[in-house]
Amino acid sequence: MGGNNKDTSNKNSDMSEPEVKSSKNADVTENDISDSGNGPQEGEDLYPLALLMDGLKHDDIGNRVEAMKKLDTIAVALGPQRARDELIPFLSEVAQDDEDEIFNVLAEQLGKFVPFIGGSKFATLLLPALEILASTEETLVRDKAVESLNNVAQELSEDQLFHDFIPLIEHLATADWFSSKVSSCGLFRAVLVRVKDDKFRKELLALYLQLVQDDTPMVRRAAGKNLPVLIDLLTQNPDLSTSDDWDYISSMFQKIMTDGQDSVKFLAVDVLISILKFFSKKHDTTHSKDLLRSAIQLIGDESWRVRYMAAEHFEELAHQFIATPRYIDELSGPFLALCEDNESDVRKGVAKQLPGFAKLLGDPQVVLKKVLPVVQNLSMDESEMVRASLASEITNLAPLVPKQDAIETLIPILLNMLRDEYPDVRLNIIAKLKVVNEVVGIDLLSENLLPAITELAKDANWRVRMAIIDYVPLLAEQLGVEFFDKQLGDLCLSWLWDTVYSIRKAAVTNLKNLTEIFGSDWASEKIISRLLTSDSQLLENFVYRITLLHALTELVPVISNDVITQKVLPFINHLTEDAVPNIRFNVAKSYVSVVESLCADKSKNKDLIQSTIVTSLEKLSHDNDVDVRYFAAESLTKSKALLA
Amino acid sequence: MEIDNDVAMQDATEEPLDPTLDEDASTRDGGGSRNEVGLEGSNTADHRSSKPLQLDSGNIGQLDKWIEHLSSCQVLSEEDVGRLCKMAVDVLQFEENVQPVNVPVTICGDVHGQFHDLMELFKIGGPCPDTNYLFMGDYVDRGYYSVETVSYLVAMKVRYPKRITILRGNHESRQITQVYGFYDECLRKYGSASVWKMFTDLFDYFPITALVDNKVFCLHGGLSPMIETVDQVRELNRIQEVPHEGPMCDLLWSDPDDRGGWGISPRGAGFTFGQDISEQFNHTNDLSLIARAHQLVMEGYAWSHQQSVVTIFSAPNYCYRCGNQAAIMEFDENHNRQFLQYDPSMRPGEPTVSRKTPDYFL
Repeated sequence: MGGNNKDTSNKNSDMSEPEVKSSKNADVTENDISDSGNGPQEGEDLYPLALLMDGLKHDDIGNRVEAMKKLDTIAVALGPQRARDELIPFLSEVAQDDEDEIFNVLAEQLGKFVPFIGGSKFATLLLPALEILASTEETLVRDKAVESLNNVAQELSEDQLFHDFIPLIEHLATADWFSSKVSSCGLFRAVLVRVKDDKFRKELLALYLQLVQDDTPMVRRAAGKNLPVLIDLLTQNPDLSTSDDWDYISSMFQKIMTDGQDSVKFLAVDVLISILKFFSKKHDTTHSKDLLRSAIQLIGDESWRVRYMAAEHFEELAHQFIATPRYIDELSGPFLALCEDNESDVRKGVAKQLPGFAKLLGDPQVVLKKVLPVVQNLSMDESEMVRASLASEITNLAPLVPKQDAIETLIPILLNMLRDEYPDVRLNIIAKLKVVNEVVGIDLLSENLLPAITELAKDANWRVRMAIIDYVPLLAEQLGVEFFDKQLGDLCLSWLWDTVYSIRKAAVTNLKNLTEIFGSDWASEKIISRLLTSDSQLLENFVYRITLLHALTELVPVISNDVITQKVLPFINHLTEDAVPNIRFNVAKSYVSVVESLCADKSKNKDLIQSTIVTSLEKLSHDNDVDVRYFAAESLTKSKALLA
Repeated sequence: MEIDNDVAMQDATEEPLDPTLDEDASTRDGGGSRNEVGLEGSNTADHRSSKPLQLDSGNIGQLDKWIEHLSSCQVLSEEDVGRLCKMAVDVLQFEENVQPVNVPVTICGDVHGQFHDLMELFKIGGPCPDTNYLFMGDYVDRGYYSVETVSYLVAMKVRYPKRITILRGNHESRQITQVYGFYDECLRKYGSASVWKMFTDLFDYFPITALVDNKVFCLHGGLSPMIETVDQVRELNRIQEVPHEGPMCDLLWSDPDDRGGWGISPRGAGFTFGQDISEQFNHTNDLSLIARAHQLVMEGYAWSHQQSVVTIFSAPNYCYRCGNQAAIMEFDENHNRQFLQYDPSMRPGEPTVSRKTPDYFL
């Protein structure tokens, strides 16, 4: 298929070459010289309009999609005038009669089309085709069309908005079929705050209220989903909206909150948060009490989906009442109820919000007496998802309670969770130990938490061991070098001698990561020196010799040249005589890393490289093993190139 | 004794049918409907050269590209499989019936088209060529990725002939692959049986046994009453379809057994052999161990005959439902043995079981 197409395209582009040029010339007088002028010189094939149309009428949908993706290229070739006069009408036809896949590409393309048709003054020409696409059945196409319409709207002047865009919204919003109405919900954002006229904005909100009360749940859902965006726009322009506007918004919120459909009702949580943010910004607390009542009603809603939304956004929701601490206290009852909800998803959502809300509560005694008991329960929740969710945030509770209480109450919970059978729980705790360290101090941490970590590090399942290794650099950063050397250094080296290759490999990478944190001197003293004095009995097995070689090679890029020449290179040299060919060809590979590092100071190290590395590689390239010869020759070429 | 004979039992019920299928192929008349592939007609065999394959930068680049492609579990094109098999013939035909293998080496059992588990194997044992491998046959059939698995191993063999040894298993045969999946998989993935033909023609060249540092005798099945010394294996003509009786058949089909002496195998091919036989064979040939595969063992490896024989099985959760562990055996330069067990890899899009199927379904 590709071959055939190419033939015809070449032929056609030859034939129509003059045509393209003439159109280009015509445009020079108009505008957009850069766009139309660049086109023909670009490397990409230029499809003339006839061919594009052929492509768009091709029987095979794949060809049509490909042709549609070239739309910008053809528009450039045609120039703005012909794009407006010929291409746009044609595309409006296509938008009415093809497959969804084509519509999808077309909808996306049109959003970027303003420059191709001569700039913003002609941008409204794109609206009819996009309006058709915004009314199709297929959600993907509609979403693309709405996105593109919003893009185009950015380019429109206020006048164009009034004459073309707002009528388009009204048209879609009052159409018979739900799909158009759903699309209209996404378009209000383009105009709401650009309309400075109060009356006009009121009309828009009245129209939106209709959508919020539409018969079909799909429309109500779309309206509910887009409402927070509109409110946030008003929050960004706090002096724009009038109390009339807010009457409308208030009714919308009431409608959504009392909707018969769960899938609409749960959107009320986001709407409420946006409303609260607006009033926070205005420092207006007159509605706080009513809104608090709404919040409490949503948190205790009979539908678990609504409760789930409230749980997921609890901290953000509660944060909006921060001006009135009494209200925060009033929320603590409903909050604790969510922690004991029957639905595990609700508990999972709220478990993440615990430290955030506890911080809002402020009083350590309240946290201790009210929050910690539910934390205790959640840490033993029957659902592993709940426990994992709690684990990801729980350590942030440490600074919120007095140190002694943290040690006596919180640490035991953390310890228990570190022994959880579900690895995600354990790993989430480990990932955020830093904050605990800051509160309870390193000694206590080492006493209590490290045994649990070392236990995990020796888990029978190698993937658990692997996960712990991945966290070691994180832990090292949190705990500092002194502590690390004392408590974790041995462990990190011991992983090198694991029976599973992937663990050994992870251990090698880990050493590199640690060196990047603690530096070359540290690596030289604490890692390399110890590696070079490894148990000789262990090294009788080639598996461990090759691991040692890999470890040192991996460290080469992150340690100083002195350490390389004094410690690493002699060891590698010594392995050139190894009885096992696998070691010898890995030596050959390692040399390249060494040369790369030493070449940073070429003048100083050139002789050394020549006398040891190049000599060794030349010797290895005459080895009796074919693979040693191959890798030695390869490394020799690379090393010589680096030296040159 | 932990050997689970379930697979053997199934083989016993189904594979004795093979001799009927076998007739056509062994008479090589090429007349059978699915057996139009007699050895004579084989392209791969026709073009074999008289010298071992020489690797140069051109074919090394090609092989490295194939290996990279295959390691993401994608099949090679039919033409590339043809090229690969031709190169492989020029490597494998020069190997011996008893291929000498140096230590250190990691010895592996059945893989059976479980490609992702083969990748897991390399995660456990280390990548080839850094680690040397010896596979004891049964790369195809039963699993869903026989084509990818055997292509990958053959490509590795051609690229690193000194680093990996691939022996022939009883499933590396024209008859068995037509019953247990490889033939159908080739048909499904390539639309014709030509790739199946290329590989099964290539299988004839696989060495049938290996000798690790003159001490460990490795083969797929077990011993044969017609073979007393390793030298006798060297005298066989192995370059043929697996016969349904005789020494070559036995080496690929036999199983160790608790009963002494030779016994009739429930599989319908090969024999069972007792501890006396193994000990005698090891003594005669100055061996320390017979390592073989061929049987499902729940722990991935199992000793028999008081550590004269070890069975290694490297397909975890065999057939995606047996719930067994897999294992490989690291044999280091000081002849220390270390078994590494492992579980199935995560397999997106493949059936997984949380509950073990009752044994009688296997």
